[in-house]
Amino acid sequence: MKLFIKRSAPVLGLLGLGLAGCQPDIEAPAASAGSANFSSYIAVGNSLTAGYSDGGLYREGQLSSYPSILASQFAQVGGGSFVQPLFTEAQSNGSGYLRLTGFTAAGSPITAPVTTSLAVRGGTAAAPLYTQFLDPVNNLGVPGIRMSDINTAGYGSTQGNPYFERITPAASAGQTYLQRVQATVASLKPTFFTEWLGNNDVLGYATAGGAASSITPATTFTANTKLVLDALIAGGAKGVVATIPDVTGIPFFTTVGPSFRATLALSNVPSAAPFIYTTGTLAPSATPGANARVVGKLSDIRDASGTGALLLTLTSSPYVSLYGRPGGKYWRDFYRQATGAAPTGPVFSGFLLGIGVTDTTQAFGQSAANPFPSTLVLDVAEQKATVDATNAFNTTLTTEASTRGLAVFDANVFFKSVAISGYATNAANNTAGYLSGNLFSLDGVHPTPRGYAVIANEMLRVINVKYGSSFSGVNANNYRGVVFPQ
Amino acid sequence: MTVKTLLLAGGTLLVSASAASASGFQVNLGGQKNIGMGGVGVGLSLDQAAMFYNPGALAMVRENGVQFGVNAALARISFRGDNGDPQRSLQNGIVTPFNFYAGFGPKDAKYKFGVAVYTPYGNKVKYADGWEGRYALTEINLESVYVQPTFSYAITPQLSVGAGLTILAYGSVNLQKDLPLPTGPGHIELDGKTKTQFGFNAGVFFKPSEKMSVGISYRSQIDAKVESGKITYTGLPTGASANIINRSFTATNFAATLPLPAVASIGVGIMPTDKLTIGLDASLTFWSQYRTLDFNFSGNNGNATATALPGENTDGRVGGTSATSNFSTSKRYYQDAVAFRLGGQYKVSDKLTVRAGAAYDLTAVRDGYITPETPDANRLGLSTGLSYQITDHLGVDGSFLFEALLKRTQTQQDLLNVGTTDRVAGTYRTNAYVPGIGLHYKF
Repeated sequence: MKLFIKRSAPVLGLLGLGLAGCQPDIEAPAASAGSANFSSYIAVGNSLTAGYSDGGLYREGQLSSYPSILASQFAQVGGGSFVQPLFTEAQSNGSGYLRLTGFTAAGSPITAPVTTSLAVRGGTAAAPLYTQFLDPVNNLGVPGIRMSDINTAGYGSTQGNPYFERITPAASAGQTYLQRVQATVASLKPTFFTEWLGNNDVLGYATAGGAASSITPATTFTANTKLVLDALIAGGAKGVVATIPDVTGIPFFTTVGPSFRATLALSNVPSAAPFIYTTGTLAPSATPGANARVVGKLSDIRDASGTGALLLTLTSSPYVSLYGRPGGKYWRDFYRQATGAAPTGPVFSGFLLGIGVTDTTQAFGQSAANPFPSTLVLDVAEQKATVDATNAFNTTLTTEASTRGLAVFDANVFFKSVAISGYATNAANNTAGYLSGNLFSLDGVHPTPRGYAVIANEMLRVINVKYGSSFSGVNANNYRGVVFPQ
Repeated sequence: MTVKTLLLAGGTLLVSASAASASGFQVNLGGQKNIGMGGVGVGLSLDQAAMFYNPGALAMVRENGVQFGVNAALARISFRGDNGDPQRSLQNGIVTPFNFYAGFGPKDAKYKFGVAVYTPYGNKVKYADGWEGRYALTEINLESVYVQPTFSYAITPQLSVGAGLTILAYGSVNLQKDLPLPTGPGHIELDGKTKTQFGFNAGVFFKPSEKMSVGISYRSQIDAKVESGKITYTGLPTGASANIINRSFTATNFAATLPLPAVASIGVGIMPTDKLTIGLDASLTFWSQYRTLDFNFSGNNGNATATALPGENTDGRVGGTSATSNFSTSKRYYQDAVAFRLGGQYKVSDKLTVRAGAAYDLTAVRDGYITPETPDANRLGLSTGLSYQITDHLGVDGSFLFEALLKRTQTQQDLLNVGTTDRVAGTYRTNAYVPGIGLHYKF
């Protein structure tokens, strides 16, 4: 019997192999353009459009920017070349960025700035200038730009935005961003565009805990939205307008608070213990109450289950562990950063008194004399201001896009759903969580290459629906999330 | 020939079939003659394989006999992802489902008894390295061997009944996939042997005339239970991230249960002449018992919402997501599946018989629930076969079965709609080729 099996199995196998040579074929789905023309594509936007990631703009991020991914899809239906202001291989680390080097014993991430192979050509440490890229570019993403900045003359000068400066020839340093868009439309004659501006019109205010920067007035936002969209459709181009995700759902605001609460709970610190923080602007203010103290409880800080209202910024991470201890580390760091001077002597004391920090020997965050700083807390009123502005801006963007017959990618709705239920791509789960969520980079605000790939796929879905095209998108798992060291 | 040596023989082969010959991971390769006739057999009393198709018909089989058959099942699965990646193929392998029967009864007695050994369920799939669905599955090998003592009794010359005790004598599962770790892909292997379990089959066979016969049969469900399977991880970090990642992978053992569902069949046999036999079967496999694939782990297996740090990815890592780390569940929600089979044989001479048949099996898997381990679809089978009687006692049976599974697509949106994003979006298409050969000895 065994012999029979032994003899017959190879014979059957060979017979089968001969007969089974033909693998069934599945024809590749063909991409088609539908009613739009993708032959010339330009992208207008901010850091998200530039491919900014991990707190910096660098070559890898640029290469996996969502416009770059879109352009590779458009190339399947006759899309032309898509030029990005790439940093060179030799200067591939661009502005520098954060990388993850390991974890503390408690499991907190340790990051370090990348300082080699930078593209810094001059300027100061606080305001560097980057190696220029003066060829015409299709990707006009400028990190840091606000909708309110598009009419600012000299925005591309050495006194302006260094990322706009590096793509602006010195001869036209006075050119505004809007004029650059108009000039690009005139020269490249785009048939298709994406527009994703406006995030920074609320983001800067929010990430500063409502203590610095400002929210753009709605009237300015609306007027500028009309200007930039009109400039883009001037040559008859079709396109996609993206809305602004609600920043209160990004890891920058959802990471430190919950882990701080969990740590305190483990150490049996009662959640009714006082949490005293300031609100409003940090700087000494002539306005009474502008930097008011709020006496709250630890339970006011939002925990992992979502109870509690206060959001702590990612930048508060080094300081939350000092809660309840005497000391003025935050203020010394702040002063050093803001002035470049050593935080000692009567000038520093004067600064502390000016912002109402009267006694740093008192318990940090537990004492009215040494409160938790406003810059690290996005309180209820500040969240409301942020969310209201986001909603108002999104209404503007949606309305103005629809008026002009453009597609709308509702990034706000998309990222809300990701924050609630995650977004699995080919059986790999992705969430809005910090580090292991795969979608957000180490700065807690900007996407990883995986995040940009997911955004590109969602935009393609919107494009397919609006213009009847058929793009299959990319396999997001081929793009990395946050890479941990082995 | 003892059961033990048979099992040893089985153990030297890979007792499984990939996508061969019935819906889900069912294998309908019960006997070489039947395979050549599209898999019919419930309404016929061809040979000792009646123990598999309809134990009620065994008493109507004229001769005593021993027979053995082996098949080489080759599946060619092609996959194309939802996102424009190139077509992927299976790593080609051969699996060899087999069948063995020995049936005896005193001359002119009304009863017969026998023993059957066969492989009713099995599945072996190994995808190309780095394919899109690597985080759902890289390979699976599912094996089962039933041993079945059988007794059949002819109440009248026209009516007989029979029943068997089905014993899941050997079963094993090996399931592997890659882990989407932030340090780069890792790998997990689950490997376990099933406990011995019991079930039954039974059938009734009625042959009112020389021209016609009918039969019904039923085989009960057996749950294949793995109580303490082994988990092996590879590619976990060893350096800076070891603490933070490896604490999520402390499980070393798992328990799981897989239903091997019941089958109910009805068949008709028509014998217009002495030389021609035609069979027609319909069978229903109760796949709806397969609701979820659940794993209980001895420790952590991927971060769970209950134990994760704030913001941490709560990916269940194996077989879906759940709230607790030592348990994972993945939706299957199979549906009962019907199959129709038609086949016939023609006796060319005293020595030579030729056969042909066709079958159409409806899928057990609903839209949106297709998993890489069983890329099931409605399938059309075509088969042919022959028998040659070398001596009065000894004969050889050959068969060849071709199966085409219809092309089947599920999109990312389909997965999102039913909450099955633990698998991969794309299009599957499968062809299977199953040559087989058998020997029979009659006395």
